Amino acid sequence: MTERVLPVLDDPETAGFWAAAAEHRLVVRACAACGKEHHLPRAFCADCGTVSDHWVDVPPRGRLVSWTTVQHQVHPGYPTPYTVLLVELEDRPGMRMVGQLPGQPVTPLTAGQPVEAWFEHVDDTVLPQWRPTEGEWSS
Amino acid sequence: MTWRPGSCAVVGIGATDFSKDSGRSPLTLAAQAAHAALADAGLTAADVDGIVRCDMDTIYPAALAEALGVPDLGYWGDAGPGGSGPAAMVGQAVAAIEAGLATTVVVFRALNGRSGLRYGKGAATDVRAGGEASYEDLYLPYGMQTAGQFFALLAQDHMNRYGKTQEGLAEIALACREHANANPAAQFHDRTMTEESYYASRMLSTPLRLFDYCLESDGAAAVVVTSAERAADLRQKPAYVASVAQAAGPEPQPGLMFPMLTRTEMLTTPAVDCARRLFGRAGLTAADVDVAQIYDCFTITVLLQLEDYGFCGRGEGGEFAAAGHLRLSGDLPINTSGGHMSEAYIHGMNHVVEGVRQVRGTSTAQVPGAQVSLVTSAPPPGASALLLTAEAS
Ligand SMILES: [Zn+2]
Repeated sequence: MTERVLPVLDDPETAGFWAAAAEHRLVVRACAACGKEHHLPRAFCADCGTVSDHWVDVPPRGRLVSWTTVQHQVHPGYPTPYTVLLVELEDRPGMRMVGQLPGQPVTPLTAGQPVEAWFEHVDDTVLPQWRPTEGEWSS
Repeated sequence: MTWRPGSCAVVGIGATDFSKDSGRSPLTLAAQAAHAALADAGLTAADVDGIVRCDMDTIYPAALAEALGVPDLGYWGDAGPGGSGPAAMVGQAVAAIEAGLATTVVVFRALNGRSGLRYGKGAATDVRAGGEASYEDLYLPYGMQTAGQFFALLAQDHMNRYGKTQEGLAEIALACREHANANPAAQFHDRTMTEESYYASRMLSTPLRLFDYCLESDGAAAVVVTSAERAADLRQKPAYVASVAQAAGPEPQPGLMFPMLTRTEMLTTPAVDCARRLFGRAGLTAADVDVAQIYDCFTITVLLQLEDYGFCGRGEGGEFAAAGHLRLSGDLPINTSGGHMSEAYIHGMNHVVEGVRQVRGTSTAQVPGAQVSLVTSAPPPGASALLLTAEAS
């Protein structure tokens, strides 16, 4: 199988996200001084000007916002069809992440349906992933 | 200082042929388009003292100056990012002229977008994604690699929330193609599209089909900007810059594209803030617009901007488009050269050229008596837009 695209693991802004994923923890950045959560991850807190490297665990649950089933092959490491899920973390409006599943839904997806995180190992990297908690899927 | 509507004008327009394989370098394409724009204005390279480019262009201003034979380049700059740049590029030319930094500015975009560097091709296989505040590490590993896949998520979200999205997308593609069929320079001049052929086109990334995507193209387009005073002595009827605006919105985003998915309201783009500024500077409203060249990398990009620029209410873009307003017989004819969907993808610069033609009255799909011509350059990550008028103010 052709190699997948993997994330940089040493970017100062996002490294903590990937380090936590390696321990099967889902985290978001938070300001160590004022507690404001920042996703996309940022070391600099615009609310109070503090620079910190602080992460908080968040429940691995969310709601489906949108999705696309990719049918046109673009990248050799990503055989089609596959489905990208855009999810919003539970109780965190606007805090969104994407996940990817091979294949496509058999049961039609609906906005707002519950999703859960899982952790996928690819070579030396662990990717937080997302899947619907219910419904049939074909790959 | 305040904005002066109509202080400057576009006095020359030029473009190369549009193709899948130009067989020429982007430098040659840029020189051809700029040369044509100068000739159209009745000017020569010796009159040029400024050049503005897109920040994603591979051609630097001095390279174009050398190729054109500009003897004394005194100002250059770039604007972007990418497709959100062309109107802002014209704005930068106006700003330089108004500030006394230049008198005659060439604004250009050149690319071998099909045979060379293809934006639809996706990520490289041999490097890790992300870093440098791009946040691509949070998206590319998940199979989110092209603009089409990104816009598909916006289109699906619009479908989830509102009605007639699909009908609107189809009508946008059909209107652009109908206008291209009248334009001999359009790549799809000879190819008609029916509702049936739209729906029969291959699904690429649900809910977007092949005909929801623009054409990857090779080519270049350029315009010449000068003061209204000088414009009065030149060959062509001036297209006055009544207004130009840029906006990044209240939630500015890093990266080029994917981080827009974390905006609180991801279907409300920075074009909303651009529109407020644009119409405010001109003292005009959306109702005054006679014809619009709306940035169309995808049909959904147009649909969202119809809402953002206030041509219809929030969530009503599908319904508005499906009602037929976007055709030549409608209230808001769009992309009258065929746009990115059916003329060529020159990253928004061919939209500026066509917006000028409408003010001159020389489009192949002319809106009779067009006075106010809107040109948009689309988000993400920012937005810019131009209002061109037939009268100085
Ligand atoms: Zn803080």
